[in-house]
Amino acid sequence: MAYDSDLSFNYFGPTKIVFGANAVRDVDIEMGTLGGTRAVVVTDQGIIKAGLVDGITACLGGRCAGVFSDVPQDTGVEVVNAGAEFARKNGADIVVSVGGGSVIDTAKGMCILLTEGGTLRDFNGVQLLSRPQTPHMVIPTTAGTGSEVTNAAVIMDKEMGQKRLLVENFNVPRMAILDPKMTEKLPPLLTASTGMDAMTHAVEAVHSIPHEPLTDGLALHAIRLLYKYLPVCVENGSDLHARGQVQIAATMAGWAFGNAMVGIVHAMAHSIGAVAHVPHGIANGILLPDCMEFNLEDAADGYAMVAEAMGVREKGMDDSDAAQAAIRAMREFIRKIGHPQKLSEMGVSGKDIEKAADMSLSDGSIVNNPRIVMDPAEVLEIFQKNM
Amino acid sequence: MPIKAMTQEWMDAYKAAIQADPDYKSIAKDWEGSVSLVVNPEPARNVPEPIYLFMDYWHGDVGDFVVCDKEKADSAKFVMTGDYARWKQVAYKELDATKALLQGKLKMKGDLPYVVRNIKTVNKVIDILGKVDTLWPDGNK
Ligand SMILES: [Fe+2]
Repeated sequence: MAYDSDLSFNYFGPTKIVFGANAVRDVDIEMGTLGGTRAVVVTDQGIIKAGLVDGITACLGGRCAGVFSDVPQDTGVEVVNAGAEFARKNGADIVVSVGGGSVIDTAKGMCILLTEGGTLRDFNGVQLLSRPQTPHMVIPTTAGTGSEVTNAAVIMDKEMGQKRLLVENFNVPRMAILDPKMTEKLPPLLTASTGMDAMTHAVEAVHSIPHEPLTDGLALHAIRLLYKYLPVCVENGSDLHARGQVQIAATMAGWAFGNAMVGIVHAMAHSIGAVAHVPHGIANGILLPDCMEFNLEDAADGYAMVAEAMGVREKGMDDSDAAQAAIRAMREFIRKIGHPQKLSEMGVSGKDIEKAADMSLSDGSIVNNPRIVMDPAEVLEIFQKNM
Repeated sequence: MPIKAMTQEWMDAYKAAIQADPDYKSIAKDWEGSVSLVVNPEPARNVPEPIYLFMDYWHGDVGDFVVCDKEKADSAKFVMTGDYARWKQVAYKELDATKALLQGKLKMKGDLPYVVRNIKTVNKVIDILGKVDTLWPDGNK
């Protein structure tokens, strides 16, 4: 693939990665490298019940300032405010989040309040901060969101009836500990759907307008790893090697889309998530192949690279042939990992998709899609194919 | 005759250009709320003091377009802040405003999802800004 001769971009990815089975046992040592002396652990009840927090608090010992575990499925302004209050009261100077997207985003919000004071409603905007925030170490328990390396957090404001989007380069997590053991117990469906979130991040980073060589490199290797190892994780969750490769892929995809952004798949997944509560990864997984089909003419060269990463580009294929091979392989892949195939399986109605199609056009991600989308009818058609 | 950038005369010309644009009214029909631009000083580029610009947009119409003080600028629904050189890049369309926000080259106080929902309006006013015959403090390209 050729890049424009006037190519210019910023790539930002300051997070240190610590990887390995049982790497979480170094949490206390690693915390010291960030200057932390007292850590508040942020998590949710499910993670505690799964027994994933005990080992971490034991390693922290007297340096654990407490565990804040009141994080719901979709975090909110009040949760972040309460978490920050808890951390402040207990004298925390570093935040360790143990969980998935909602937990990580809660911790991101808390880091800002711990440094700047006030409540989350005081921080409505983009890149408002002008100094580094409270250090944040992430220990992901899913392999998908990529949130451990991005500058963004989504936090629901129920009172205002809208989601708040925090985008702050000064608040990117300082470190992520990727320990395959933390995802070992993830059930097959959740493994598949969070993995498809990562796969979608990678594919969308490739087709999105601001993609560049660094993000392409990360995204394409993420696709390679996911294509090979996600089915293994679904089949045998305790295969720690495969789990680790998928974790690494999810983080690489996080760096890729954190810089190159995402496109129509995420715009549609956000919208159908808001309208009909379809989980984010599942919506992405279902919609990805038809969205690739939709973008085919505008992103054939990118999808041809995806085909190479998947190992399905055959000799003699031009970019368009290869792109179509990538789309076929992606459909087959989703079937193979036992991922839901249709939105109707998720209880989505015809009314829901009409509403979601309209919403998709005002989602931030749509502006980065390679094919310009102006008409909700085009989006509706993609939804309809997946009913 | 080019007009000195970021002066009241320039703001008047900008407002007139928006009003004269045949498509603006329909594109901006959903936008409501004022926007202020804060230009951080860069003495080396002949911008010794911060400059505050306030613009009122309302459903395809335009109201106050003024050079103002910090207090008035802070009262806008959206406050966008950046170095002089960045703003000039935006005007020359060398820098995409949304991309600049996400990369931290510009800061914004206000509701980002709202801006994204109305990205066509934002792009339109930037487009028009590029057409105002401007004399930049550090010279034109
Ligand atoms: Fe995602």
